[in-house]
Amino acid sequence: MSVIEYDVIVIGAGAAGLTAAAWLAEQKLRVALVTAGEPTACLSTGCIDVCSRSDQPLHGIAGLPDEHPFHRVSPETLKQALEDFRRMMADMDMPYEGTLEENRLVLSAIGTFKTTCLVPATMHASPQSDEEKIHLITFTGLKDFYPGYLLSRLRNASFSSYDAGVSTTMGIAAHFEDRAFLETFLLWLERQNIREDKIAFPAVLGLESSSFVLNQIESRLERPVFEIPTLPPSMPGRRLFNVMKDHLRRRGGVIYWNWPVVGVEKSGRQIEAVTTEAQGRPNSLNARAFILATGSFVGGGLYANRDRIVEKVFNLPVFAPENRDDWFEQDYFSMNHGIGQAGIPVDEAFCPQGSPWNNIFVCGSILARTETLKNGCGHGFAIATGRAAARSCLERLK
Amino acid sequence: MTFEHCIRCTICVENCPVFRVQPEFPGPKQAGPDAQRFRIGREKSIDDWVLLCSQCKRCEMACPCGVEPAQIILRVQQRYGMEHPHSPAHLLFANNYYLSALGSMTAPLANRIAATKIGKKILGQMGIATYIPFPKFSFKTLSGEKKTRSRGNRKVAFFYGCFINFYRPDIGRKIIRMLQSFQINVVLPPQVCCGLPALGNGNLALARTFAQKNVASLSNYIDAGYDIVYTCTSCGLCLLQDYQGILEIPEAKKIAENSYDLHEYLLKLIAEREISPVFREVNRSLAYHIPCHLRALKIGYPAADLMKRIPGLDVAILDDACCGLSGSYGFKKTNEAAACELGARAVSLIRKTGAEAIVADCGSCRMQLSGLSTMDAFDPAEILCESLGIRNKK
Repeated sequence: MSVIEYDVIVIGAGAAGLTAAAWLAEQKLRVALVTAGEPTACLSTGCIDVCSRSDQPLHGIAGLPDEHPFHRVSPETLKQALEDFRRMMADMDMPYEGTLEENRLVLSAIGTFKTTCLVPATMHASPQSDEEKIHLITFTGLKDFYPGYLLSRLRNASFSSYDAGVSTTMGIAAHFEDRAFLETFLLWLERQNIREDKIAFPAVLGLESSSFVLNQIESRLERPVFEIPTLPPSMPGRRLFNVMKDHLRRRGGVIYWNWPVVGVEKSGRQIEAVTTEAQGRPNSLNARAFILATGSFVGGGLYANRDRIVEKVFNLPVFAPENRDDWFEQDYFSMNHGIGQAGIPVDEAFCPQGSPWNNIFVCGSILARTETLKNGCGHGFAIATGRAAARSCLERLK
Repeated sequence: MTFEHCIRCTICVENCPVFRVQPEFPGPKQAGPDAQRFRIGREKSIDDWVLLCSQCKRCEMACPCGVEPAQIILRVQQRYGMEHPHSPAHLLFANNYYLSALGSMTAPLANRIAATKIGKKILGQMGIATYIPFPKFSFKTLSGEKKTRSRGNRKVAFFYGCFINFYRPDIGRKIIRMLQSFQINVVLPPQVCCGLPALGNGNLALARTFAQKNVASLSNYIDAGYDIVYTCTSCGLCLLQDYQGILEIPEAKKIAENSYDLHEYLLKLIAEREISPVFREVNRSLAYHIPCHLRALKIGYPAADLMKRIPGLDVAILDDACCGLSGSYGFKKTNEAAACELGARAVSLIRKTGAEAIVADCGSCRMQLSGLSTMDAFDPAEILCESLGIRNKK
């Protein structure tokens, strides 16, 4: 039984899927997005890594191996996709800073620096060296954020601790949404006589109102303030996801939560519908085309058996290093594990290679040879391929 | 999926409305899969904070690994209920069905008492919160309705649920009229409370008794060719999920396979070209608060699809916030503060849309949101009826 017919169904609610779905909805197509759960994007730092292997993202992309899927995205599409992303975030009062010309650094919770391209405005003032004079604010009892790590690596830093009455990032962020709490906190902060040039916070400055909270602190203390991304629950990741999904909905897209695809209806060379096991009876959704953006292993798009790797929705042919011994290196922390290449190989139109279906398009980290960690191809890659796959899908449907 | 599939990613925690505002609650990850490892022995459960979970199921909707934290917690709540004496509030709300039956029988009196200062004081003494007005009992319940006449070939057995039966039978009557206007034959099968309030208050045995009665009745109707249509999303979730799951009712699968949300059912009939309603213009701007349990049904938002077809109607969909009441959860003194704070957030999101009224499938969401905002709150079926020109006889 299928009730509603869509033009396109996007599977996966990460940055790639949400970008593809929102763009297609903007083109006046009937779009539904189905997702097994919330995406790993919620756990991310919220930073948009385009290609972090060199100081300049475009340079980095040019230097990627020939078979890397980033080469399937034209520079114009990449530029347009990121510009649209920035506009969307600014419109929803969650502005991003940075440019495609140059990468930048953000300070991590252990005092190291991460290379990225676009950052939430709350991380705009993040230091670019370990020399800068920084005062850290932490919260009494806050788990997963230890100023000691930062102090040991930053030469000119000190810290103070505020008792927010709760000891979780979620709880503190919810408190910052409360104006009375913010005011009490600001008065305390003013009494600390901070001498350093910048003030750093773990990323807990509110959920919906982070821009407002940041501005309030900056104007009262008269110096730059920035957030340091934390372990999950990660507020910047959650803010990013919330804005992207609201944007999709405002464009008319429909989202089905907790809708893991368990079955597929086919006819000829076309996928006709995807099915989930709802409470009671199977529930299926029809569409003319499907965009697969289910992510890699952590996201749940790929699953490794002992002998081979499977793509979980359509059982598409998967590329992986042939010899299982080449999946992993000896060093656990290596960025270069062979398994990072696993994924779906696609043609110029982002259609899976060697698959019998002609109405599936693939984007995001499930693409073969992405090597997200090694190349620093994160949300930026997802947004760009999401846009490119959506465009190619639209052309096919015309 | 078992608790062992949890990868500790904390996405459930980010989605937990209670965790946001109630520091005593350790969140779905800790209360569910994390603590589950320690619950295997025969020791008595001492974690009273499991009762702070409101069973909104948002954690289950968000989990990328298919773990069901709320389900784990629900089972611990039942175990806690078996091992500890029940508070007066828990006892009363578990037996809400009998209480409401009594309330409706004595409606003029019961409503007056509940609204007085002394009435409120007594409720307060029993641990019951009175920050929003108690719903008014209706003297003429839906269950007392005369048999309706058969018209077409389609046969529907309407599971109306306690809220409509005892408090808003007028909505129930409109729904029946609407179905009849599509030449559908509607009957009201013998039914009792779905059992969810009993489950929510740690009374597994009572919930099972209710479920068995309902299944025995509904099963006969299914055999006779009826589709079951429910309108309360929480009743629906209980019928579809809990009867098969925690309550382990034989034949529950049959009920689940043949039960439909009202709006899902209308969309199905439209898709099958059995009905083709002509929606007339309704000039309203509404904020559609999606009940948590509608999300949990995994059927999308069918009422939103229907309302989209109504010319002139402007509907903003809001599914990020729980109203905080969660059935009888917020009516307990211990949960009052959390319920108020969550409700205030939901109301502020609604106000941001600039809508003039609220629409929500769930009676208790409407109660909470209109109580806190003083805005009107409608059932989506009321909006459909308005558009279709269906009114109750005076």
